[in-house]
Amino acid sequence: MNTSPIIEFKNISKKFGDFFANEEITFSILPNTVHSLIGENGAGKTTLMKILFGIYKQDSGHIYINGNPVSFKNPLDAIMNNIGMVHQHFELIDDFTALENIVLGDEESDYGFLNLNKSRKVLIDIIAKYNLGINLDEKVCNISISEKQKIELLKLLYRKSEILIFDEPTAVLSPIEVEEFFKIIRKFKEEGKTILLITHKLNEIKELSDSVTVLRKGKVVYEVGSDALDISVLSREIVGELETVIDLNIRGDVKSEEPYIELNNIVYKHEKASALNGVNLSVYGGQIYSICGVEGNGQSEIVDLIAGITRKSSGSIQMKYDGISLVPDDRLEKGMVKEFNTGENVLLRNNKSKYISSSKIYDTAKAVVDKYDVRLPALNAPLESLSGGNQQKVIFGREIELDNNIMVFVHPTRGVDINATAYIHKIILEQRNKGKAVLLVTSDLDEALKLSDKIGIIYKGLIGKEFTRNEFDESTDKRNRVLQNIGKAMIGVNSD
Amino acid sequence: MELTVTKKVKANILSTSISLVATIIILFVFLYLVGKDPFEVMQKMLTEVFGTGYGIGQAIFKATPLIICGCGLAFCFQASLFNIGAEGQLNLGVFVMSIVAYMFDDYLGIFILPIAVAIGFAVSAFWGFIPAYIKIKRGVSEVITTIMMNFISLALINYFLIEFLAVKSTVRTEKILDVISIPKLSVFSDYFEGSSANLTFFFAIALAAATYFIFYKTSFGYKLRAVGLNPKASRYLGINTNKMTVIAFMIGAGITSLVGLNFVFGYKGYYEYGFSNNLGFTAIAVTLLAKNNPIGIIFTALLFGIMDYGGLSVNTLVPKEIMLVFQALVILSILSFDRIIKIYYLKEK
Amino acid sequence: MLESIITYSFFMQVFRMFTPYYLGASAATFSERSGVVNIAIEGFMIISAFSYAAITIATQNPYLGLIGGLIIGILFSLFFSLFTIKLKINQIVIGVGFNLLMAGLAKFLMLLFFHSSSNTPGYPHIPRLPFLKSIPMIGDLTGDSIIIFALLLVFISQTVLFKTRFGLRLRSVGENPEAAETLGIKVRLYKSGGVIICGLLASLGGIWLASNQGSFSDGMVAGRGYIAIAAMIIGKWKPMNIFFACLMFAFFESLEIALQISGSGIPSQFVQMLPYLITILVLIGFVGKTKPPAADGIPY
Repeated sequence: MNTSPIIEFKNISKKFGDFFANEEITFSILPNTVHSLIGENGAGKTTLMKILFGIYKQDSGHIYINGNPVSFKNPLDAIMNNIGMVHQHFELIDDFTALENIVLGDEESDYGFLNLNKSRKVLIDIIAKYNLGINLDEKVCNISISEKQKIELLKLLYRKSEILIFDEPTAVLSPIEVEEFFKIIRKFKEEGKTILLITHKLNEIKELSDSVTVLRKGKVVYEVGSDALDISVLSREIVGELETVIDLNIRGDVKSEEPYIELNNIVYKHEKASALNGVNLSVYGGQIYSICGVEGNGQSEIVDLIAGITRKSSGSIQMKYDGISLVPDDRLEKGMVKEFNTGENVLLRNNKSKYISSSKIYDTAKAVVDKYDVRLPALNAPLESLSGGNQQKVIFGREIELDNNIMVFVHPTRGVDINATAYIHKIILEQRNKGKAVLLVTSDLDEALKLSDKIGIIYKGLIGKEFTRNEFDESTDKRNRVLQNIGKAMIGVNSD
Repeated sequence: MELTVTKKVKANILSTSISLVATIIILFVFLYLVGKDPFEVMQKMLTEVFGTGYGIGQAIFKATPLIICGCGLAFCFQASLFNIGAEGQLNLGVFVMSIVAYMFDDYLGIFILPIAVAIGFAVSAFWGFIPAYIKIKRGVSEVITTIMMNFISLALINYFLIEFLAVKSTVRTEKILDVISIPKLSVFSDYFEGSSANLTFFFAIALAAATYFIFYKTSFGYKLRAVGLNPKASRYLGINTNKMTVIAFMIGAGITSLVGLNFVFGYKGYYEYGFSNNLGFTAIAVTLLAKNNPIGIIFTALLFGIMDYGGLSVNTLVPKEIMLVFQALVILSILSFDRIIKIYYLKEK
Repeated sequence: MLESIITYSFFMQVFRMFTPYYLGASAATFSERSGVVNIAIEGFMIISAFSYAAITIATQNPYLGLIGGLIIGILFSLFFSLFTIKLKINQIVIGVGFNLLMAGLAKFLMLLFFHSSSNTPGYPHIPRLPFLKSIPMIGDLTGDSIIIFALLLVFISQTVLFKTRFGLRLRSVGENPEAAETLGIKVRLYKSGGVIICGLLASLGGIWLASNQGSFSDGMVAGRGYIAIAAMIIGKWKPMNIFFACLMFAFFESLEIALQISGSGIPSQFVQMLPYLITILVLIGFVGKTKPPAADGIPY
């Protein structure tokens, strides 16, 4: 084939502080293809796309569209060049209707007065063509996630974008919705559009992509076309070399007689919507219990109830011990005070005296830093100056040192590099082997399978199916069928 | 590795000094434009304030309530509570304080002082409790409620004063017995002869020191600041943020009432409507300028005290209200240089 | 007793008092709809009232006073947007600073120019509109161009905010600036637009006060800038609702004045504090939930 690329990245670099988000990135994308950009969290995929879309400005390097150098100062420039982007977190205005959201920035108007009906006519045709049925007059705050994604698609189609960027488009969709989405993508391709897909799901790549570029730590490490695509090679390229390998199969039988955490028929309502609909859950000492599911099915509500952040509407919660160790999902928002240093963050949670002296801050920090192998610029550096993995180690260290019998870990390895992940997994298993009750909330099924003694699947505010280790252990021959059943349970389909 | 820390300290010093210089330059240009000789004004102000013990005493007298009120506000600001209501809180507290003192001074003598102060403190604290409670129960921003409550408290005082408590055809309460007063500095040294500066100044310094200790050396202080910096994380860290909000607001508002020591017991002997003359707002500037650090507040308050008396002393050359402009300019320039230095020196986003 | 208060002239008074409230409240609405909290409405009213007074005294031409007052308002709102939008400094704190600055400037300049700490000399008001001023009964109101404008503003602001492209974009940056930016909308431009309209309308409110009173005096704005913000909150950021909120506050203020004159024995202080009390009660939720624009007050 002798087509010239529609987009070319040449030596793109972008630094945040001292950290290279993108470093000398060079690759090109052919027109009318589905090109996947893949890599771990923090590999620099989103940053690169934001540069292409004019949200960030690269420090050096050039972008060429159809062979012409471009320099987008803002998204408007990108839109003018027929580029459209669906962001990982939908960019919608809750208080506006679907129609207003779609036309915003490209409104039909007469002398400055909105002419929404003119846009409506255009949209009705598009909706029919792509089978994207939504109510254009409904406010966005009242609609479901998959409808929100349809609005995002309509935004691109309304603007007649030819280059479409999707950032993790399927993360929030159920498998059936994912299928629908794939159909639309294929249709886009048939029409000659170029699609750039950011993802970290390997199966999506296999199903859709014509070519793949792998980013790791801000650099392009691997490029391959669909003809030579090998998933195992791809996954190794994504992850890179492992520094430490930990055997996660050393697990003694230390299960307690009575459960440490017991939830009975918990109902929780929030602003009319019911988030939890009668959850039953028991976690024993010496057990890792994982709650798995698509995000937003009630996981965070369970954690908040156990942590005492919110109150249940009905049902009973029994905890055998006072005090829990909690590593929350969002470490910047919930896990720490980023302006405080390590010692201060630990003492905030774990201080028996009324006074805090400088020497105490120093000693506390030193203990955690040494024990948990935290790497930081200075012992008294504010936590915001540490990398994500090291921040997470500080939080882990702090919570583990509390030595509570009940421990709750929420998405403990999200956005953490592979080595820190291995280390954190080791710590979690150690706690289990010491007889602690560990509740793990994760949407990473591999993580759950590796660590758990028991997995509960949460769907629409209910823990339906539970699976025990002997069902999904790597040694059992039932494993494949159980995995399928877990997958089905996560989307609320009854298994055989 | 030490760099990150010292750079921040450097940035603080840099922004404070640049903004002071910038303000003075703007003011000089402004004075020049309106046809005054800025150097003459400056020179007169400096000699009047620093040339005599009276001048220094008056500057101290003006600075004292700013230190006190600033410490109160720092309690709120450290917890990220934008208390714009100090003016109302302190007026109500001082008003009740002087009424109590006047009513019982015959019976209790000097012992009425701590009692009156405690009651005044409680009243102001209650006035601070209301916006805090509304905030935690209904999620209403304290900014709007405290602004509204300023008007309400002043109207209330006005009503009780005019209808029942004021000395006829004045807007002040009856005078408290002379024995119930805080000694003036001039009692101890002739140097301060004629000035109203009194021992409350030393109380204010001690208060600032104590506040500093609470903020930076106690668990409570760390929790208070954590709530201010990241309320969500604070809840996950097991801090009762609602309780902290209420405590910070009540202590903060309560402390503002202690300015009554300076004005009522140290100076006039009665409450006078309008005595505070926007003290509650000026103290916001004093506190922000010091970045909520109580030790810093001592210095910024003294600076404002000097400007306040300095303004009076140059009134013959240029209206003393020039100092209001100066104070506002200081606030705006410190805020902007803080930001500019953050962007261009610390490279924060 | 009520009959003696609720008279024809009382109603005239209500609509007069309504004018600065509504101008101030619409000012605040345009700013907050774009996501910028401006608590310095009071200061904008003071400085433009003073500018009108000073310029009109100097030139004896109220139209120059009007234009000068508006220009001063725009200048200050440009500064305000520099601090809040360009430098992204906390909007409340900047608002407090601006209030101090503008009130201080007015006081200082009054003393400097007119050597009085209480009020300026008298000056002419903005001339009444021909024809409209001679309509029987309501000529006093209809002859006043700014009152007419304030009444029309109810429809103008409703239309601009909800029926025009500008309004849609303005509201979008107040609700979700990130989303607006991804659609190519220049967020800072629209925020600045909101702030400038705010300065312009608030200034017009101040100018009306100055023109109506015939002499600028210290404290003449008397918290109206804050009441305007209260009216906006009670009116839930919607021009029509704000109209009624302002009418209510104007009613209370007129009542307060009438009570003082009639010597009815009802303490005027209580009527005086009513708007503030009502605002707090509304905020607490006795009068339904209020919801500000989603990104109100958050720098972007």
